[in-house]
Amino acid sequence: MNLSTRLPGTGARRPALTLMKSTLLTRGLLIISLMISGPLLGATPFPDEETLHFPATTSPAQPLERLTVHGALDIPQIRPLLEDFHQRYPFIALTYRNLTTLELNHRFLATQAPSADVLISSAMPWQYRLANDGYAQPLTGARADAWPDWARWRHELFAVTFEPIVMVYRRELAERFGAPQSHADLLDLLEEHSDALRGRVVTYDPEKSGAGYSYAVEEARLSPRYWELVAALGATRAVLEETTGAMLTGLEEGKYWLGYNLLGSYAENVVAGNPELEMVVPKDYALVTQRLALIPKRAQHPAAAQRFLDYLISEQGQRVIAERTKLGAVHPALQGPGTANALRARLGNALRPIRLSPALLATLDDLKRRALLARWQREFRRWQVTDEASSPRAEDAGSPPNKRAPDARADDEANAARPNAP
Amino acid sequence: MRRPTSLYRRLLSWLLLPLLGLGALMLVQAYLDARHTADRAFDRLLEAATLAIADRVQWQDDQLWLDLPPAALEMLATDAEERVFYALYDGEGNFITGNARLPSDERLDQGHGSLQDALQGVPQDGTRGDTLLYRDITWHALSLRQGTRRSRLEDWSLQEHFEVRVAHTREGREALTLRLLRGNLAYIGAMAALAIAALLVAIRSALAPLTRLRNAIRSRDPRTLAPLEIPLPRELAELRETVNDLLARMRRVRANQERFIGDASHQLRTPLAGLSTRAELALRQDDPAAWRSALKAMQATSASTARLAGQLLSLTRLDNPEATPDLAPLDLNALARHATREAWTSCHRDGIDLGVEAEETPLMIDGVAWQLEEALNNLIDNARRYGARRITVRVTDDPPTLAVEDDGPGIAKDQRLLVLRPFYRGRDGGEGSGLGLAIVDGIARGHKARLTLEPTVGDTGLRVAIHFTGDRQ
Repeated sequence: MNLSTRLPGTGARRPALTLMKSTLLTRGLLIISLMISGPLLGATPFPDEETLHFPATTSPAQPLERLTVHGALDIPQIRPLLEDFHQRYPFIALTYRNLTTLELNHRFLATQAPSADVLISSAMPWQYRLANDGYAQPLTGARADAWPDWARWRHELFAVTFEPIVMVYRRELAERFGAPQSHADLLDLLEEHSDALRGRVVTYDPEKSGAGYSYAVEEARLSPRYWELVAALGATRAVLEETTGAMLTGLEEGKYWLGYNLLGSYAENVVAGNPELEMVVPKDYALVTQRLALIPKRAQHPAAAQRFLDYLISEQGQRVIAERTKLGAVHPALQGPGTANALRARLGNALRPIRLSPALLATLDDLKRRALLARWQREFRRWQVTDEASSPRAEDAGSPPNKRAPDARADDEANAARPNAP
Repeated sequence: MRRPTSLYRRLLSWLLLPLLGLGALMLVQAYLDARHTADRAFDRLLEAATLAIADRVQWQDDQLWLDLPPAALEMLATDAEERVFYALYDGEGNFITGNARLPSDERLDQGHGSLQDALQGVPQDGTRGDTLLYRDITWHALSLRQGTRRSRLEDWSLQEHFEVRVAHTREGREALTLRLLRGNLAYIGAMAALAIAALLVAIRSALAPLTRLRNAIRSRDPRTLAPLEIPLPRELAELRETVNDLLARMRRVRANQERFIGDASHQLRTPLAGLSTRAELALRQDDPAAWRSALKAMQATSASTARLAGQLLSLTRLDNPEATPDLAPLDLNALARHATREAWTSCHRDGIDLGVEAEETPLMIDGVAWQLEEALNNLIDNARRYGARRITVRVTDDPPTLAVEDDGPGIAKDQRLLVLRPFYRGRDGGEGSGLGLAIVDGIARGHKARLTLEPTVGDTGLRVAIHFTGDRQ
């Protein structure tokens, strides 16, 4: 079904090609990732762009160690980090393999014998589930103890990055309708100009994208007004994409004017290279997703794995993340651009990091997923149904939201109490 | 070498050992209690989580449907960051949804809210009539506490049973158990210290009278035999009375000895003084005939004095409790006949009829021959001195008995014990030393024999008998 939409993406030559891998979370894509990983398992030589290898230089005093890291993090992003690590520990032969989140999870569970030594993935529920089920081994030490509680679970799961979910818009949109700075702005914008924006808005398809689904779960928990936003998106016939990469591509090409819920770390790179695009971290609330690292119990080189994870949460490793990547450093001692502290100073309480708690397990519940998606579809189609039912009043398609617009405007950004969306 | 046992140490160990055992039991009990309390506290979380989940179970699309509330899972994870598992099963035990296929709890609910349930510890949720079960399980090498809620959906036309199973790891429970136990440990430790201190004080104070008694005995004048007069607890008062009895006996013994020595010196002094006077008188005279008669009288007196001294000597020897005579087998009949024959001549000269009645067959006993002969001589001599005209030495069997009967005046009943005392002369007018019966008594005691004094059959005279009760051969 989504085969056709996805495969061109895989073959694309843009940096976005690997971005989508990190966000492929849906069940539907499992089959495809199996198709990919199947041949990969059989054939040892990986495509160069998916694997990074640093050979070790050993000395008699320091015997060779090996380390295999599986990550859902594309190579340009992680390369500086790995290079710095390799400089510090040249005796470790380091192999990094970039996989999709789903592939990473599936490979880990499927392989009985050898497993990677460190798993890094942005699929928080999946990583949490692995740790919850007892697949991870704890990392001890002063750094692990000092790591902030909110970014750690049981010494087994460490959140090493801090990436806000953002909106990206084109200059045309800002020129014509003003730039939305918050979810409330966005709702107003969509409700007022649903006709003008028809087909110009793009967001995640929660049904096909795991990331999109987990954002939907979080946003629905945050506020019932999320459903108004979904309905408004539906009224504008918003296009649903599966990856941040695809959304960014469409935005760059001018196909879309506004992208909602993009992964900030990827968007920042693209926006920086394209003057037509602007990135906004919503001011009322911004979800923050984090990449979780864990050491499997079955790790073949646990000592090297612990060294690597310890490096990831060290001040040096985090400084590399802050200064040479867009991933966002978590370390509490770091200040300045590219750190969680800087983002906090700017946005304060608006940041909503997805919490490392058993609630993530609920996200993975199959029935829960079906229930949420059903509601999502219902809300998304709300005004579309009205449109189709009364096609003569097509030019009034945006009118229901418009009628409710004063209401919506009356609400300030802090979300005053308001009955649930009808 | 074995160390002398200490009463203090013995008391201490016998009291401390049970106390320590009791303390260990209390520790175990405290741990179990703490664990139980922690489990009860945390089981409320399981209860709340299952309730939150059960509340969201619906019937939808012809199947059981669950809109899992994330809060239900979050309440299972406390600060201890427990691992959390949940599962929903339908009435037939089919897995509906969950993150773990938790095992079913085999215990059956036997009707809702029955007394039996309450007795068997199957808790009931009063508001819904659900059954709640808790238990510890090991699942995939994880030690979990599982809570199971059996409930049912009630709809217009539908009654669907289902089961919510949740579980989490025990970190939070263990932390609480430890915290509770630490509190209890301080309490138990303080109690143990108090108990031991009280024990030490109690034992010391209980043993204090012993020290007092020892000090009282030690500080006494070694020559005094006066009774101990210190206040003591009942158990020690008995000891004090025993000691006092012993002291009293020693006082009597010493009095006897003093009297004996006094009597003996008096007895010896009188004849010696007589000898001296007689010699003086004889020296004033020039008549050799008077000298001769004086020497004769002096010879008689010194002979009787020598005999007295000999008797005193043998009495002292007999009274020495540490000198045990070497007993040898001897024939009592032969001994009686021999002694009678020895004494017969002198008796016959004085016109006294001395006879013996003894079997021809030997009657063997263990004894010292010369002592028994001495005893017989003393008895015969005694009878003669107190005016008997007819003396019979009789040996009877079963038990072997050596008896001397006379037809003299006898001894009044109340005198019979007294005559056994040295120098006691029960019967007036006699010329004996007063030691004869005392010596016989000593010999009888040396042979572990019983001495009896009684009138003869005709209620006249005296029968003195030595019954050899023990060692018949």
